[in-house]
Amino acid sequence: MTPPVLARMLLAAVAGENEAEYVAGDLHEEFLYLCATHGSRAGRRWYWRQVVLSVFSLWGLRMRNGEIAHVVAAAGLGVALPLLLLDRLWSFVYSLIPLKDGLDRAPGLLALNVVCACVLAACCGATAGSFRRALAIGVAVAPASAFAMWASAASAPPLYFWGLLVCAPASTLATFQWNRRSA
Amino acid sequence: MAKGEALGEFEQLVLLAVLRLGEDAYGMRVRREIAERTGRNVTIGAVYATLDRLAAKGLLDASLSEPTPERGGRAKKSFRLTGEGVDAMNRSRQELASMLEGLVFPQ
Repeated sequence: MTPPVLARMLLAAVAGENEAEYVAGDLHEEFLYLCATHGSRAGRRWYWRQVVLSVFSLWGLRMRNGEIAHVVAAAGLGVALPLLLLDRLWSFVYSLIPLKDGLDRAPGLLALNVVCACVLAACCGATAGSFRRALAIGVAVAPASAFAMWASAASAPPLYFWGLLVCAPASTLATFQWNRRSA
Repeated sequence: MAKGEALGEFEQLVLLAVLRLGEDAYGMRVRREIAERTGRNVTIGAVYATLDRLAAKGLLDASLSEPTPERGGRAKKSFRLTGEGVDAMNRSRQELASMLEGLVFPQ
């Protein structure tokens, strides 16, 4: 007898990395007890009710423990903001070029942006203490870096954006794995 | 006493449940204890949020146990009262007793 898969997924998505295991374990234990005493249907209904009604409490707990703040800080302050500042630097460099009419962002500078985004995302991955958090940072890094690029170089080719969306989160996860293996 | 140090009603219930359960005080047992004794159908999320807040205040100590098959191979987080927790409960009890002393409830 196993608890409802979707409810388990919701719990895993909402609860913080520390709480997910204990809460899921507690619910599993009670679920088996209820299935044995009241039937599987009552057990499943109870499980769903507990998960849905616990969403806000568990989310609040996750925020209080600083996990969300870490993810947002890593993606926003660690990747998006430096990229925006980097683009301001490129704008300054461009402003020094005389007769720059029709001059678009040079592919070399865009490629450098992607490399910088990957390096920053990799640094963020090194700060993650667990795979769950590294995954959360990776997921947050993709839209954060894409937003930074859209805000700074909207005319860039699609390949550039796709490169960011894929390479930056991949760098986060790769650094985390490398860090864990070498520890 | 500062405002943040006073125990809320649900915090008192959780601390009393932990005290009653002794070594076996973990989230679901605390939830069940409160439900059986007060009739309140509280959620596991609310219980863990309160347990975490009380642990942050230094009123509870948390410890982890080994994963077991009946929990789907997951560990258990048990709680027990600290000295500060016992003091806080005694203070709450004295305050309540003091407020109730000599009081006649209307029928």
